[in-house]
Amino acid sequence: MGILEKITRNVDNRYWNPGVGAFPVKNRYTAGVAGQQFFERLKEDSKIFGTRCKTCETTYVPARLYCERCFERLEEKDWVDVGTEGVIHSFTVVHKTLEGEAKEKPDLIAAIQIADGILIHRLGELDDMEAYIGMKVAAQFKAKADRRGGINDIDYFKPL
Amino acid sequence: MSKRVAIVGIGCSGFRTTSTDLSYREMIFEAATKCYEDAGGIHPQSIDSFVASSEDFMEGISIADEYVPDQLGAVLKPVQSIAGDSLQGLASALMQIKTGQQSIVATSAFSKVSNLSHYEKVAAYATDPAYIRPLKEHPYFIAGLEMNRYLFDSCSTREQCARVVVKNRYNAFLNPRAVYGAKITLEDVICAEPVSAPLGQFDISGHLDGAIVLLLASEEKALEMTDKPIWIKGIGWATDTPNLDSRSEGLGSAHYAKLAAEKAYKMAGIKSPVKEIDFAEIDDTFSYKELQHLEALQMCGFGEAGKLLEMGCFEPGGDLPVNVSGGSLGIGYLHEANGLQRVLETALQLRGEAGKIQLTGVETGLAFAWRGIPTATGTAVVLSNRL
Repeated sequence: MGILEKITRNVDNRYWNPGVGAFPVKNRYTAGVAGQQFFERLKEDSKIFGTRCKTCETTYVPARLYCERCFERLEEKDWVDVGTEGVIHSFTVVHKTLEGEAKEKPDLIAAIQIADGILIHRLGELDDMEAYIGMKVAAQFKAKADRRGGINDIDYFKPL
Repeated sequence: MSKRVAIVGIGCSGFRTTSTDLSYREMIFEAATKCYEDAGGIHPQSIDSFVASSEDFMEGISIADEYVPDQLGAVLKPVQSIAGDSLQGLASALMQIKTGQQSIVATSAFSKVSNLSHYEKVAAYATDPAYIRPLKEHPYFIAGLEMNRYLFDSCSTREQCARVVVKNRYNAFLNPRAVYGAKITLEDVICAEPVSAPLGQFDISGHLDGAIVLLLASEEKALEMTDKPIWIKGIGWATDTPNLDSRSEGLGSAHYAKLAAEKAYKMAGIKSPVKEIDFAEIDDTFSYKELQHLEALQMCGFGEAGKLLEMGCFEPGGDLPVNVSGGSLGIGYLHEANGLQRVLETALQLRGEAGKIQLTGVETGLAFAWRGIPTATGTAVVLSNRL
């Protein structure tokens, strides 16, 4: 503490506290029509699907219900299997937990380009120093029994 | 629609890392009182309308817009809240005058982030619930991804990002509104605790509490109220897609900044930003953002910002002083109030009231704010002391 670091939370100071606010709200999200189908293919078939807009020739990954550039609805016929391999668009070594504490072991998180889209996911089976932008990686799926129909049905991406 | 609009009053309060005394509303009251005094002692009854910028999660109150009027003297007056960076609030206030609906409008913003026990969770809750949140990572991983890709695309270096921190925290020493002033070395920044590498602890601006209130007036009123009006020459804002998988030019770009600036320059009649803008107060939430934003705002070519920084071009005595105030890295991060903080520092420079950080002979300044992780929203404003 001092010049380089400061106390930035009132909770760390002494003062009269008239009340503590907590907001115990819970949201139960739906993945949407496209998201539902995307996760179903991930869970059931170990496949990654995108949707292709014929007007601008963009293939969205994850699959979408509409093209955000042309503002066109994407139909059933626009669904394409984009394979399970991609290229690292960027990566980072995350050292902090969601609580802001230091992680025991840092995690490699990457933006993996697949077709014209990107999946954000963990990297596995490689060291921090081995990862590079442009590296080819492939999805490692969880065992079928452990899949829940979500992005974590992919365990991580690993080098090809 | 040709009405000219000026900033005629400036007030601020707080600018400290914790505040156990003033509530955020009392802090705004203090800033508003100073602002109205600064505008020649106007009573809020004579102000036509009020625009506040805020974010419910940061205030810790649902439907926080209802808690806006009293601290601004706006009870029973037209009041509007903008859920966005305060430069978007400034744009809204500006439009109210430009359309002729109002003549005098106050706009406010604040941060009392010290009340929050876990800011990370608020930022994490802003990420996509289906594709990003289930990874359960600290939200700054997005900044780590952006930084790594920006360095790759622009051929800028880790050291150049660290140099932004060294410059801005040093600049902050002379600014009484800056809390994070420090003599810090490149090595301190590079060897600091990593957060989401290459992003380290000192690449991230520290939280700050504070409130800012500005008073805007039409040309006719402005000339009556002050002999130092600061004219809002141009403003523009843009939002890229929220989806990390389809950002227009990849995760290394700040395309929102480019589009916002183009609109602001066009409105201000600026054809060559480098020649016509004397200094800039631009977003440096993270070290790399200053370089990335400088390039997107056409202050230099793509991939040039790091080299120009090394040459000293962005120092207070350089060709284009950038964040002479200390920026967010030196002053502190004021969340949705960041934008008004940039305007405050720009306007004080243009008035010649910036004290020890005063630049000489400045006529036109650029203020630019980004809305932070995980957004892709930016607003640019061109200000001048010349009509």
